Amino acid sequence: MKKNCRKDYERLSEYLDGELDPDACREIERHFRECPECRECVESMKKTIQLCKEASTEEVPTDARERLRSMLQACFGSTHTE
Amino acid sequence: MNEIATEPIDHRLISEFKAGSMEAMEKIVERYEDRIFTFGLKMCGHLQDAEDIAQETFLNAFKYLKDFREETKLKNWLFKIATTACIRKRRKKKCEPDREISLESFIPQNGDDVKYEIPDWSEDPSDNMLRAELKDVIDNAIQSLSHKYRLVFNLRDMEGFSTQETADILGISTQSVKTRLHRARLFLRDKISTSYKEGGVQ
Repeated sequence: MKKNCRKDYERLSEYLDGELDPDACREIERHFRECPECRECVESMKKTIQLCKEASTEEVPTDARERLRSMLQACFGSTHTE
Repeated sequence: MNEIATEPIDHRLISEFKAGSMEAMEKIVERYEDRIFTFGLKMCGHLQDAEDIAQETFLNAFKYLKDFREETKLKNWLFKIATTACIRKRRKKKCEPDREISLESFIPQNGDDVKYEIPDWSEDPSDNMLRAELKDVIDNAIQSLSHKYRLVFNLRDMEGFSTQETADILGISTQSVKTRLHRARLFLRDKISTSYKEGGVQ
């Protein structure tokens, strides 16, 4: 492990999310120039998040939608009339 | 006086619901059911559990909507209720305690081969088979995350809540959100990369 790796490795998600101040960002970017492992880490994390997002679509089954509405109608229909 | 944080459309629907409109209730459900259901499914891994979470969330939301002071967005408030529903469901199932994820195991050592193979998501419909397999790999990886890490990952990266919003929803510090999110991402990257390399997806 290279010098500063531990400290920078802990902050890689914050770096990715733009949550670090400009000085800390510059420090990490300097570290990337001498540490391909940390650079690779940030790139692979970025790809992982992107992949999880793209694959996250789920379809709500029609019968589940209907059951939810029936339940809400039964619970609130009597107290809520237009 | 507190400022209204809900979006104008939600503010209007909430007022209409409070005045007795069932149509407003229906519209609120329409706006948020897909996201709440998806969150429930990502948290619990089963359709039936996701349906239970969605039902509990909306039931409690409409029960207490008259007291909702709109100091947060409606979406955030609904996710707070949904999160509580997920935690309650987990307690009922008497699951194992959360396993901690240590950062040490992810830090590359000198000489380690640290090439991670993260596949791309194809938008090509002819790749349906491949996409289904890859989705299984991803869903299994998310399910194998310990509950407290999965909560943070789903809220931050899947639902797009900010660090502060996630901390507010979960009632934890922003530092805990950051720490858990970083470990969750590293865990998922390793899990997905390993499954991919081992031939989980051809």
